[in-house]
Amino acid sequence: MNSIGKKRLWLCAVLMCMALALTGCVGARMGVSWPSVSLVELDGSDHIAIAYNNELSILTPANGAPARLISPINGQPLRDNDNNPRTWTLRGSDNDGSQFYSAPLRLDEETLLVADNNRRLLKVDSVIAEVARSIPLADKVVADPLVAGGLMILPYQNGGISARSLQDLQEVWSFPTEEGVWAQPLLAGDMVIIAGIDHNLYALRLETGQLLWSLDLGGSVASRPLLANDRLYVGSFNKSFYEISLDGIILSHYETQNWVWGSPAIDEYNIVYVADLSGFVHALDTESGLMERWSRQIAERGIRAGPLVYQDRVFVASRDGKVYWLDRRDGELINAREIDERPELLGDMMLLEPSETLQIDEPLLLVTSVHDARLLIAFGIDGRQTWVYPR
Amino acid sequence: MWDLILNPFVTILAWLYALLNQDIVLAIVVLTVIIRFLTYPLLARQQESSRRMQQLQPQLKKLQEKYKGDKEKMSQAQMKLYRENKVNPAGGCFPMVIQFPILIGLYQAIFFALAATPFQLVDLSERLLIPGLDSLIPLQRMWSPVPQLLDFLPELDLTLAPTENPTYALALPLLVLVTTWAQQKLTMMTGGHASAKKEDDDEDESPSAGGQAAAMTKSMTTIMPIMFGFFSLSFSVGLSVYFVTSNLIGIVQYSPQGRRVLDKVFRSKKADEAPVVVELEDDAPVTKPRRKARKKKPRRK
Repeated sequence: MNSIGKKRLWLCAVLMCMALALTGCVGARMGVSWPSVSLVELDGSDHIAIAYNNELSILTPANGAPARLISPINGQPLRDNDNNPRTWTLRGSDNDGSQFYSAPLRLDEETLLVADNNRRLLKVDSVIAEVARSIPLADKVVADPLVAGGLMILPYQNGGISARSLQDLQEVWSFPTEEGVWAQPLLAGDMVIIAGIDHNLYALRLETGQLLWSLDLGGSVASRPLLANDRLYVGSFNKSFYEISLDGIILSHYETQNWVWGSPAIDEYNIVYVADLSGFVHALDTESGLMERWSRQIAERGIRAGPLVYQDRVFVASRDGKVYWLDRRDGELINAREIDERPELLGDMMLLEPSETLQIDEPLLLVTSVHDARLLIAFGIDGRQTWVYPR
Repeated sequence: MWDLILNPFVTILAWLYALLNQDIVLAIVVLTVIIRFLTYPLLARQQESSRRMQQLQPQLKKLQEKYKGDKEKMSQAQMKLYRENKVNPAGGCFPMVIQFPILIGLYQAIFFALAATPFQLVDLSERLLIPGLDSLIPLQRMWSPVPQLLDFLPELDLTLAPTENPTYALALPLLVLVTTWAQQKLTMMTGGHASAKKEDDDEDESPSAGGQAAAMTKSMTTIMPIMFGFFSLSFSVGLSVYFVTSNLIGIVQYSPQGRRVLDKVFRSKKADEAPVVVELEDDAPVTKPRRKARKKKPRRK
């Protein structure tokens, strides 16, 4: 065979192998988790922090614009080498490839703590948005940490909990779990409640990490329980939703259509709203043993994010790329907004009420998507889109 | 559409996991064996087609010599030759095309079932078709090859790459490389490309289609093991288990003994049929219809 023919054959072979590899990766998601949205105080006012993949950004609630860095010396905007105003963004590319899925915590006026997905706790100078110190962790972090009793309680992606002192960031106690912890721990009095992918709900003593009780819920527990009226409300992957006493006894349970991943919401009438991964939303009366008030299939695909309730509305974001406004009394669909290109809406929503520290004059519903061009979308309560934050 | 293939695989894998004492490696091995066994008729057909094509090579070569410069006539003569011998030149591709999505589906089922991150696990919720399997989630991702020797051989995390596992996990990419090479080598020897080297050497300025295919197979024998060995370094250990199992089954399927047994199981007699000998004459390039064909014997002159 001549040399051109041989080259062509080699090229074909390489292309075939690459095609095989690429085809094999179809459907294989590149990301680890979905965006985390939280509030963080910066320069005396509350801002929105969004952590997703290789960036952590801080935004202005009024318009979704990245917050500008201000010099503490002269109050002027900080500028980069090209004289452009610098904005508050922490990039993984500038920090050894950090990946962010966890909300930052404010340690003091000039310091944020960020646990990344690369087994590091980053101490960030919030004035200049740069990492000041990096502390190695035992594992990756994929959920928001909890701050309570002078401790930062970090849930680990592959299993276990670590409590670190906010004074020196040294580990005070740790607790092992068989599988990962993918939900923010919950503080219930002097207990920390941990939801485990290993099917267990754990109650630990806040000060020492001592196990007080654990409860096998028959399926993975991936959401932060809701604490209301001295009861815990949580769903699991065995298609059930539970009401549990604070000493770890199941008081009642309700069967859902599919896995329950998101945290529930509760209104002032003690009706709890829970969504499942079949696209159903269920309204359950907590005063009568989780009796069903209504149950409706709202979305075409699953609902991962927990619903939110505000006034007479229930808000739901689905994997089908739509946000739904429901009447909380009967689950009737009031409004649905489709996000452009219908990216999956997996991250938890956040509702911001008007306040001086937020500098907004109407309530905002924040919805995150996994599409960089529409990473965070703000809606008014009436369903009007207020702003979009693209990355 | 793709979910029609993928979701049953994920479900069966989870079901096997429950059936086999929650041993995910055993479940992967058993599912791979079942799938490779069920797709064997397709593989056999592909091999048979390749074999027949190979047998026609001398006559094709004669046609090329005879109709040098007249592509249209040569093409007609080739088609006639194929028709008379009931050979479809693309016939070997069809079974491969069918097998390919099945094998990719199996590969992906393992990927999804071993979900280790929220993103992967949220997908799994829509893939389990049998009620009751939800309580098995997450599938046990820690595995020890010899549970009695945990001190010497710590558990492997099947969702992590060999480089993130105990050192002995690095043997897996090596195993993938060796078994892929062995399978490719056997494919060349038994799958109709036994003459790859000869074809390669014989070929001149106008390489035949069969020669190109043979040369490509030969190239694949070198590239595929290296690439798959390399992939295994970064893919999860669970997928390496699949690669090794799949390759070992392939080795059995392509080996003469293995083929004999499998042909008996699937009652395939085609492999034993004698090829149809077609003589080319001056005015009729392909003359002998199949019913008049004789068993191939050395011709006396």
